[in-house]
Amino acid sequence: MGISRYAMLGAFALASLSLPALSASAEDVTISVWSLDRDIQPAPNLINDFNKLNTGIKVEYRQIQFDDVVSEAMRAYSTGQAPDIIAVDNPEHALFSSRGAFLDLSEMIAKSSVVKPANYFPGPLASVTWDSKYYGIPKATNTIALYYNKDMFKAKGLDPDKPPQTWDELVEAARKLTDPAANGYGLAFSAKANEEGTFQFLPWAQMAGGGYDKINAEGAVKALDIWKTIIDEKLASPDTLTRGQWDSTGTFNSGNAAMAISGPWELDRMIKEAKFDWGVALLPVPQLDAERSSAMGDFNWAIFSSTEHPEEAFKVLEYFVSQDERMFADFGQLPARSDIAIPPTGEPLKDAALKVFLEQLKYAKPRGPHPEWPKISKAIQDAIQAALTGQMSSKEALDQAAEKIKAVLG
Amino acid sequence: MAAGIHRRTALLHPLSFLPREAISGFGRDRPRRQGIVMKRLLSSVTDGSGFDIGLVLLPLAFLFVLSGLPLVYNVVMSFQEVDMFSLGSFWRPFVGFKNYVDLFSQPETRTILLNTALFVSASIAGQFLIGFGLALFFWMNFPGASWLRGLFLVSWVMPGLVVGAIWNWILSGDFGVLNFFLREMGVIEGNIFWRSDPHYSLWAVIIANIWLGTSFNMILLSVGLSGIPKDLYEAAELDGANSLQRFFTITLPMMRSTIGAIIALGLIFTLQQFDLFAGITSGGPNNASNVTQYWAWDLSFRQYDFAKGATISVIMIVFVMLASVVYVRSTRHEVRG
Repeated sequence: MGISRYAMLGAFALASLSLPALSASAEDVTISVWSLDRDIQPAPNLINDFNKLNTGIKVEYRQIQFDDVVSEAMRAYSTGQAPDIIAVDNPEHALFSSRGAFLDLSEMIAKSSVVKPANYFPGPLASVTWDSKYYGIPKATNTIALYYNKDMFKAKGLDPDKPPQTWDELVEAARKLTDPAANGYGLAFSAKANEEGTFQFLPWAQMAGGGYDKINAEGAVKALDIWKTIIDEKLASPDTLTRGQWDSTGTFNSGNAAMAISGPWELDRMIKEAKFDWGVALLPVPQLDAERSSAMGDFNWAIFSSTEHPEEAFKVLEYFVSQDERMFADFGQLPARSDIAIPPTGEPLKDAALKVFLEQLKYAKPRGPHPEWPKISKAIQDAIQAALTGQMSSKEALDQAAEKIKAVLG
Repeated sequence: MAAGIHRRTALLHPLSFLPREAISGFGRDRPRRQGIVMKRLLSSVTDGSGFDIGLVLLPLAFLFVLSGLPLVYNVVMSFQEVDMFSLGSFWRPFVGFKNYVDLFSQPETRTILLNTALFVSASIAGQFLIGFGLALFFWMNFPGASWLRGLFLVSWVMPGLVVGAIWNWILSGDFGVLNFFLREMGVIEGNIFWRSDPHYSLWAVIIANIWLGTSFNMILLSVGLSGIPKDLYEAAELDGANSLQRFFTITLPMMRSTIGAIIALGLIFTLQQFDLFAGITSGGPNNASNVTQYWAWDLSFRQYDFAKGATISVIMIVFVMLASVVYVRSTRHEVRG
């Protein structure tokens, strides 16, 4: 990696030196792409490969930080300096499409032989849809499921091949697995007061018949009650309220939590760090016949409506889509498509986990889509925290959230 | 005086970029009267009140462009309806005091304002008292005192986010070092969840902030202490004043302006403290450790409600201005003396 970075630096230096003489031929169209992908992630690599094809389209890449994606994009768009293509987090997509900042791709997608809506998981596809038109293409996807420590299951007399399937079983297992003397909790998850908290809670509400537009449904209240039980009985660390998913799962990896709710982005680290046998199970449901649900994460591609070259920009996106098969093997990301069979990696734990995540993805639901998602999400986070800190009952907290959300939904 | 003017003209001649003949030879071939006017104007710029006015105007213009305009813009924004797509334009719909009314009707506003008051007063009190204690300690001038005092500055030099991350670990409930020490010393039985317990989370940030700001207080107070003439103490000692009397009748009164300045600066610094909140509690749980400065950021850049973010900033500006008045008044002595 070090070498390739130096090679790239060298190439940049050479390119900038010889720019006046060798600048791209006059007919070349330049397309600018912004995303948060680092050098080992898809975007810069796919762009490199694309530029080597010499299609008459030259793609320029700029990496932006996760926290800056929306604010940078807004600033650029409102001052007329937006890039042609950008990758945005899926709950933020509607914000841009509803305001006409993104280009309606429906017609181009209809004509395209590469991009076919039918190939995508419904969740990611819904996140790029606004007013039944497509304003983007899912870039990748992820979801959350239940990781569990099989060795600990055995030690506490639980069947390592029968992970908890319902909420009650989950709480029961957590009770058995919690061991304060050994600094061990039954479960690790995140109820942090940011998007991660919403990301983790919403699936629970959805499985029980709730949703962001009916967050105080009976099932959602029950879900929050279960969370409260877990926190109150110290089946999960009280720091769950201020800790993100990555840090929470870290305690699972170090053996201080017997189960963890998180996504496939944990796999590589877990394989390296976890010194025990572990497995992944579908997110537990309220009762066995209940509808499944899960969270849906990751980014979407979109073209800014201010672009001067919509056709060329779409061609670039088509190229990205055509490379979706490489996503997992080369970059460890899950393509948002149901028509791609992901080849085994040769790492048995990872392959087994992948199977579960692919199954779970079928039930993944987008957050929103709604242009004012951050406000809706904030109301949900506030309710979770108010209930878990004991300042309100679950019912009161969610009623208040429902009222706030109603005001946003209008 | 004359020497001063001479040096001023020599070094800072406003027209020194022109050749010398051009400056002194202005108006030589023109009608006499015009020449005199020019000369007067010119000499006022080089030597008289014109130069002084220029000296005042330059920093004023600088302040206006770099501080005044953004402030005004912020105030204007707090009266407008702003979303991310109208960020680039200045003419947005005015909504009067709607943002202010909305803000104060939110249930969390009261909590957050009270938190801010508690955070500021507890931080300043802690930083000042410990800082003063340390300054007096090092004032005793034992071997290595100045060297050790310098080392204390390490906490002030460290970036806030790094300090936040370190305290995040120290204060962690399950594996935190602080809990470990308290437990070993028998102060607590079970772990305290500093970051996640609404009763402690604000104090968690205050503790970190006191640690961060103490050394700065100590250095400024040390400077103030060393400015007190030694003969005052000698005289007092001859008159039979004990050390406590000397402290309250000499040290404290002589330090008055320094203390005023430090408390005003402390108020400004604690109101600016953002990194620690981002690093330790993110304002949680349930706003138990949220303060205005973090809230303003959260509203603007997490919820994209820029107008409300600006509204909070305006409210904070008022407080900072009050602090500035105290600061200017307490340092007035020094400028005159």
